[in-house]
Amino acid sequence: MNAMFEPFVDVVPSFFATLSQGPMTLTIFLHTVIILPMFWIYKQEKARLEKEGN
Amino acid sequence: MATKSVWSDNRFWQRTAAWVTGFASVLLIWLTFDTSAQISMGTDADLQNGVTKRVPGPTVINYKVTYEMNKKRQHEIPVIGGMNAEGTSAFQEKENFFGRDNWSEEEAGALLHLGKLASQTKNCMNCHTLLGNGAYYAPDLTKAWLDPAWGPEGSMQAMTGKETKEEAMAEFLQNPSQYPTHARMMPNLGITAEEAKGLVAFLKHLSSIDTNGFPRNFGKIQGAVNGK
Repeated sequence: MNAMFEPFVDVVPSFFATLSQGPMTLTIFLHTVIILPMFWIYKQEKARLEKEGN
Repeated sequence: MATKSVWSDNRFWQRTAAWVTGFASVLLIWLTFDTSAQISMGTDADLQNGVTKRVPGPTVINYKVTYEMNKKRQHEIPVIGGMNAEGTSAFQEKENFFGRDNWSEEEAGALLHLGKLASQTKNCMNCHTLLGNGAYYAPDLTKAWLDPAWGPEGSMQAMTGKETKEEAMAEFLQNPSQYPTHARMMPNLGITAEEAKGLVAFLKHLSSIDTNGFPRNFGKIQGAVNGK
């Protein structure tokens, strides 16, 4: 618990301070902006390939 | 049912790469502006109004600066003008710097500027480290002002025979080769009295910058918080 959720301690609260809080915040952020859109792109491309009959 | 896999489809990878590159560009531009705001220097008004800035204004030389362990942040932070109940700067306690604690913003700014130029002219970074830049041939000067060796009971101040920290540092800077420090002695660089004064102001300001506890092991030196 203690290691999983660290208090926000940076001098000035900013978006980038959130990212550098620890490995978990960074992992969640990168999955949100890279992996999730990749699922979306994957589904669109799959639908396109099916429509084209490949 | 598609016979061709999406994983071997060019368009999927192109779109993914375009998204990641585009998003990263936006993020880096944002980071640039966020950083500039955070590292911009504060003013005298900030210090008087108790506004904590990562890089305080030049008149910080009028204040007492100490290095205190911050429980919340788990590292030492520079505390300006005494500590308040939250363990951060109170901006109250002043301290004489070369005999006075009323350096105006212009005077202090000019002194810091002279010190910065002198540090570049004499190439301090050729041996020392300042804010992570430079060499490790000689001691890291990022927190030099807070080094207890220069304090009232410190060996460096005693060696120069001066009454105050700033006078001791200025004396050492003008005649470094007269004082045996360690195996790699500092050479005489022909630093004038005025330049030495500027350099000490520059070092005091440097030490008052919140560097997120960098250099990491500084607090472990003798006499410091959590020290030996």
